[in-house]
Amino acid sequence: MGSGTDQYADAAGLVARSAAAYVASVPTDPADDGFFGPASVTWRVSGDLSSIVAGLRALLVQALHPLAMAGVDQHSDWRRDPVGRLAATSSYLSTVSLGDRAAAERAAARVRRIHEHVRGTDPVTGRPYAASDPALLLWVHAVLVESTIVACELFGTPLTPPDSDRYVAEMAVAAELVGVPAALVPASAGELRQYLSSVQNELRCTPAAADAAAFLLDPPGLDADIAEIWQDVRDAAVAALPEWALDMYGFGAPGALAPARRTEIRQALGVLDVVFLGEPGVLEARQRIALRMRTAQRA
Amino acid sequence: MRKTLVVAAAGGALAAAGLVVARRRLGKLRLRRGLAALRLVARGGVRYTRSAPRLFAAAGETREQLRNDLALQTAQDVADTLGAMKGVLMKIGQMASYVDDGLSPAVRRTLSRLQDSVPPMSAELAAQVVTQELGLPPERLFARWDPEPIAAASIGQVHRAITRDGRAVAVKVQYPGIAETMAADLDNVSLLRRMLRVTAPSQDVDALVTELRDRVREELDYRREADNQRLVAGYYRGHPTIHIPQIIGELSGRRVVTSELSDGARFAELAGWPQHERDLAAETIYRFVFRSLYEVHAFNGDPHPGNYLFHGGGRVTFLDFGLVKHFTPAELRPLMQMARSLCVENQPEAFRRGLEDAGFLRPGAPLSTETIVDHLGVFYATIRRPGRLTITPDYASAVVRRFFDLRSPVAAYVSIPRSYVILQRINLGLFALLGELSATADWRAIAEEIWPFVQGPPSTPMGEAEVAWRASRPVAARS
Repeated sequence: MGSGTDQYADAAGLVARSAAAYVASVPTDPADDGFFGPASVTWRVSGDLSSIVAGLRALLVQALHPLAMAGVDQHSDWRRDPVGRLAATSSYLSTVSLGDRAAAERAAARVRRIHEHVRGTDPVTGRPYAASDPALLLWVHAVLVESTIVACELFGTPLTPPDSDRYVAEMAVAAELVGVPAALVPASAGELRQYLSSVQNELRCTPAAADAAAFLLDPPGLDADIAEIWQDVRDAAVAALPEWALDMYGFGAPGALAPARRTEIRQALGVLDVVFLGEPGVLEARQRIALRMRTAQRA
Repeated sequence: MRKTLVVAAAGGALAAAGLVVARRRLGKLRLRRGLAALRLVARGGVRYTRSAPRLFAAAGETREQLRNDLALQTAQDVADTLGAMKGVLMKIGQMASYVDDGLSPAVRRTLSRLQDSVPPMSAELAAQVVTQELGLPPERLFARWDPEPIAAASIGQVHRAITRDGRAVAVKVQYPGIAETMAADLDNVSLLRRMLRVTAPSQDVDALVTELRDRVREELDYRREADNQRLVAGYYRGHPTIHIPQIIGELSGRRVVTSELSDGARFAELAGWPQHERDLAAETIYRFVFRSLYEVHAFNGDPHPGNYLFHGGGRVTFLDFGLVKHFTPAELRPLMQMARSLCVENQPEAFRRGLEDAGFLRPGAPLSTETIVDHLGVFYATIRRPGRLTITPDYASAVVRRFFDLRSPVAAYVSIPRSYVILQRINLGLFALLGELSATADWRAIAEEIWPFVQGPPSTPMGEAEVAWRASRPVAARS
């Protein structure tokens, strides 16, 4: 992967490119409030400090579905361009949550088009897969929604049980946008939990998943200092994993995080957030969102 | 009448140690590149000073526009906005510039964004703080209360008011809950240490962290600021050119500080003033800094352009005493010895001993005294010889450059002891300011007036006026 310097540049690109993706996804002149809107829980959690932990935790859990993992492994260039891959995903997610309907639909249509070509056979289970398979799409969707709730709970502003339900129900439309029939999508936190436990016996840590996790937890080429801050995010994501995921990865149970460590992680997330805020356009984009939320609040 | 009240923090020092490292940890700056960037920016130190007031204005406009819409309405809003290290980053960033102007443009941008990202309190929330602090809602406490803040402070905002006895005042109101949040964040020493390590490579990071934590903690309690301001105002009472707004004690508390409202020209406006006016303003600032240090044993660690208001004829109002460092006689002694042996007695060896005694220079460093004088003497260049001298932007840059020159042979043996961390602002901030004014004076002669070990005769009309002022002061007030 080139010299250490290049890898360093890759990591820097992560902030810059995620920020650019975020900024582009927040419309300056929206035609409508999109599929969620300023009064939604979705908008509220989209700005939570814990988002990056939610994202990392989601990737770690999603990778445990062999067919989902095989699709990513065989069709995406995440190994060559992990930053680009992550930025593309975060761009998609924020366009769907914060963009107007047309933008969200365009982004979803594009993803569905790409998914058409993502088919193959998982070398581990020997099973064929297709990225457009609603079962796989639902898995990816459900894990992300659950990860967001868990990360908010541990490192951000926790959602009340009614707000968790609302959030799960709100997010159903995101699953539909990529092609999951509405009837399959969990509509409450309880249904979400049920769904997740129902698929557990399909999960396992394939070599591709182990690779992906190893990369995400300890991105190669990082020098000691990068590893240092990444360690906070990583510890947070691992601490947020369900026990069965820890078992599959062979991480062993890390035990509950001490309150002091949680505080430290939150502080590190705050520092990261400030860095993110320093990227061009991020503050304005956030203010656009905040203004619309305030207006909705008053109404 | 247009009232201008400029509050420190806000626009001024947007530097932040933290971000350099945060950024670097995310990968933008490798250690070596980071240092190169510091050196590069060191050259831009003066430019930065010039741009600071503009940044402040820009931030103010943004706030104005978003004021009502995004105002913080609850203590929870405050925690969301300034918790998780953000308030601390803002503060430390501000302070890091006292010891280190070597910040990359990216870091400066990040800090100014952070500053801009903090909306003011809603009128209700600010009123709530005043009520909690002083027992009555502001509309009852004051004859008139302007619910619209006129300026932002880093951890609060400033409102105009008129007291019941008719005095126009500035009321600084702290964000509720911020002190507790920041105090907790300041306990994360290891994160602070990581954040400061790269920015201040020539500093003893532990000393720096400890000192900055102490100063930030002090700043969280406005009573401390009021005490500082009273102390300094008391000393300068009746001074011909130095004016310190008076604190209204009965309208001040831990989270609210009320002082007399001042108006005057801002630093940026000085650009349009004739040079002799600029020289006089510079002379006043210079006298203020060193008199305060040698006679009040206090140094206002925040000499950034936003903290002055100018009235012509050299009269200057000094604002914001949130960051005042007090020195013990034992801490001042080596400083005086150094100045004395280098500038007055021309005793390089004694100068070197002074550096060692104060902890600036490792004893027994394998360097010739000549080399040491050669490299550290630049900080004394304005006062080593008598005669009129212009402090140019180039000189100010040279001082900053020298400060951050890690290739210098002395760099490995020099460090800044904790007590003097804030004093670096003289080298990095004051000279940048005077350079900005292209100020000319016989700095040495003025220094001699002030140096307790010389007590030279007045060298300028302002010096004459100071003699009269000192003579007129009650004995108890003299130092």
